[in-house]
Amino acid sequence: MEKEQIRERLASAASMPRDVVLGASIITITGVSEVCVENYRGIIEYTDCLMRLQTKEGQLRMTGKRLNIEYYTNDEMKITGIIDSIEFNDGRRGD
Amino acid sequence: MIRSLIRRMKGYVRIRVEGYSPERFLNMCCYHGIYIWGLAPAEDAYEMYMSVAGLKKIRPLARKTHTKICIVRRIGLPFFFRRYRKHRLFFAGLILCAVLLKIYSVFIWDIHFEGNEKWTDSTLTDFLASENVAPFMLKSRVDCQGIVKAIRKEYNDIVWVSASIDGSRLEIRIKESEDTFRDDGQETGTQEEHPTDLVATEDGVITEIVTRSGVPQVHVGDEVKKGDILVCGRIEVLSDSGEVAGYQYQQSDADIYADTEMEYKNTMLLTRQEKVYDGKESRQGFVRIFGWTLSVGSLKNQYENSEVLTEEQQIRLGENFYLPFSWGAKTAKSYSFRTEKYTREEIRQILSADFALFCEELEEKGVQIKENNVKIQLDQNSASASGTLYLNEKITEEADTEILIVERKESDESDGTDD
Repeated sequence: MEKEQIRERLASAASMPRDVVLGASIITITGVSEVCVENYRGIIEYTDCLMRLQTKEGQLRMTGKRLNIEYYTNDEMKITGIIDSIEFNDGRRGD
Repeated sequence: MIRSLIRRMKGYVRIRVEGYSPERFLNMCCYHGIYIWGLAPAEDAYEMYMSVAGLKKIRPLARKTHTKICIVRRIGLPFFFRRYRKHRLFFAGLILCAVLLKIYSVFIWDIHFEGNEKWTDSTLTDFLASENVAPFMLKSRVDCQGIVKAIRKEYNDIVWVSASIDGSRLEIRIKESEDTFRDDGQETGTQEEHPTDLVATEDGVITEIVTRSGVPQVHVGDEVKKGDILVCGRIEVLSDSGEVAGYQYQQSDADIYADTEMEYKNTMLLTRQEKVYDGKESRQGFVRIFGWTLSVGSLKNQYENSEVLTEEQQIRLGENFYLPFSWGAKTAKSYSFRTEKYTREEIRQILSADFALFCEELEEKGVQIKENNVKIQLDQNSASASGTLYLNEKITEEADTEILIVERKESDESDGTDD
């Protein structure tokens, strides 16, 4: 954890973007029907009403209806459907 | 849009991934840079689109993740060609279509005119045809500059022309000159040397005279006869002693108005002959190809009086490219004459309408009608409208000036002997 704290301080001191330095996820939500996620590691679970993604900082849990992955590449994915909630769980700490 | 077009060109598939952990398969695809789109869960499996190139790479990934992959649908050009590979004629047709399209695009198919009012499309088309510019000519042989020059040379009142090729259409934009007096000016210019008088065209009493050049011979209130000189183009040059030493000649120009009279008479018969069609007719259809006519039916008949009506329609491409193919029908209709008598009211109406039209034409010419005493009379067999119109009109007409020669020497000598 110390290493990460140093990195965070460095990022804020040098005013560098956090997603580059810390590998933080970027989530762009457009209305209730579109979510764009960058900087993730992979899909853990995916059904049409629940989606769990692994990110560097933990798990991203998304619930909704008719969830559909428009495209899926190494850096970015776009999810469409009706989004109900988006939560962060610290997967490693929870486990 | 473009992306989906490219995908279709290259071909793609919809696959179904089933197994213990399809999510792992997805993550591995992602890790190996295989692009996935349209991913949706379907019962215990996932369905997604993948390019053909991606499909070739996924076999080891499927083995590693213990997933089963089946292709649900094949989309795109490679699969289309594969499916129809045995339909050789279809492909031959495709190629032929492309070749014909290329060949046809080499020709001009239509000539479009814009801005022409006085000169009709057909006149201009005929003129261009005489210059060897017609539909179905090679585009490369069209000389726009030459067309522009030819049109400007042929038609004086077309002041601006532009010719351009738009696809397989030759567009010709024209601007016509709106004033027509340009030609008149040139004509009078050529006659400048010629001295003229103005003479009366009618008998009448002068009411107004405005002279611009020449010597007026009449005054307001004078009564003139037809042929009298009103303005003389010959100006006397007087010597110191007040005698005529010579003459100067010029073209006379003046506006002279006079009160004139005009007799009006219009007669008509009390009866008229009217055509009555008895419904009998014979028809002949025909098709004309390259001046060669094929007809069906006959127009031969025993009718006493008949008229033939011909309707013909010609096929054309675009606006002005008529193909030598037409069809139509000729109809011979039988009729007889019936004599009808006009009623008094009808006669009155017809004669009044004729007279009104006559007056209108006079007024269009600039003649003012001051009074008229035209009356309608009915006789045994005919009816007439007659009377006198009292008009005020321009009564000048140009005539050559008489050239007079002054024999000055003789008169000078005689004067000298007297002194």
